[in-house]
Amino acid sequence: MESEFHVGDDAELYAAGALTEEEQAAVDAHVARCDACLRRLGEAEETVLALERVNAVRPAGSREAKVLPFQRRGVSSWWVAVAAAAALILGFILPHRGSQSDTPTIAMLHSHFAHAQFTGAGPVAKVLYARDRAWYYVIVAGAHRYEVYGVRDGQNADLGTTQPGAQTSDLFAPTARRFDRVELRDAGKIVETAAIR
Amino acid sequence: MQATALRLLRDPEAARECVQEVFEGLWRRGGPYSPVRGSLEAFLVTCARNAALSQLRAGRRRQETAQKIEAPGEYTLDEDPIERQRVARALAALTEGQADVVRLAYYKGMTLAEVAAELAIPIGTVKGRLSAALRALRRSLVPETSHGI
Repeated sequence: MESEFHVGDDAELYAAGALTEEEQAAVDAHVARCDACLRRLGEAEETVLALERVNAVRPAGSREAKVLPFQRRGVSSWWVAVAAAAALILGFILPHRGSQSDTPTIAMLHSHFAHAQFTGAGPVAKVLYARDRAWYYVIVAGAHRYEVYGVRDGQNADLGTTQPGAQTSDLFAPTARRFDRVELRDAGKIVETAAIR
Repeated sequence: MQATALRLLRDPEAARECVQEVFEGLWRRGGPYSPVRGSLEAFLVTCARNAALSQLRAGRRRQETAQKIEAPGEYTLDEDPIERQRVARALAALTEGQADVVRLAYYKGMTLAEVAAELAIPIGTVKGRLSAALRALRRSLVPETSHGI
């Protein structure tokens, strides 16, 4: 009789690498006979792929990305993996070296942080900040540029101006200073404030 | 795959071997990939990630990696600024609890039990938060046309 077990949340845990090898094997066994769970697992794997796309592999000293053939979008045939395996075995894919840079993502991944919502007449906005106050990351809905100030005991510190993207504008400000609040200003006028606790 | 393994293992040679082991394993077993699952690329990256995490957790590479992080190499792992910004924004939209779990379990490669101990929360809560976070990140990061396929 077919088990009623389905992978459920284990799909995301599998894709995130959070399951033990035994648990992974159980998921593999189940998805081999359950297309619904296989699709859910595939969706979770797409999320992991999106997270991993942050990293590209480049030859040192070059600005041209060296992307492995099977990392390109639209390549979906199993034979490509076989060809890639052959390439690997023959040593065509060379070693790489890791490095880190000081970016919001890296900062967020390596420190505990807290959120605070901005309040005021301006757009939806949020500030994330390291609990040790090593950095502040401000993200604002919309593509408008805002000046960002940290305030403590009546003293203002100019943290910079948000940089607009397609739908939001943001600023990553590495600083070791502690602030009571962070302000968004437009042409010098305070439009929103977030309390830092 | 190489970038995924390299980010976790921090050792070019270990990353190359990890990817090679993945392909050799798939070659021997035939591989559990099916088009129903979705893209081959996502499947392979997940395979590489799970293999790299297994190596990390087994502690096989810890000592060697610590010695090789600063070693010069022919290639560098660089960040795509556009993807980096997308991911930063998606991470910023998570709850604090979800973000903590993603940071420890996903990016630091800690086991669920280690995350539970670090955050002093039940392991079931860790599982729930990680799963919910991945689903939320999917909504933020994966194009709508890919949903529900």
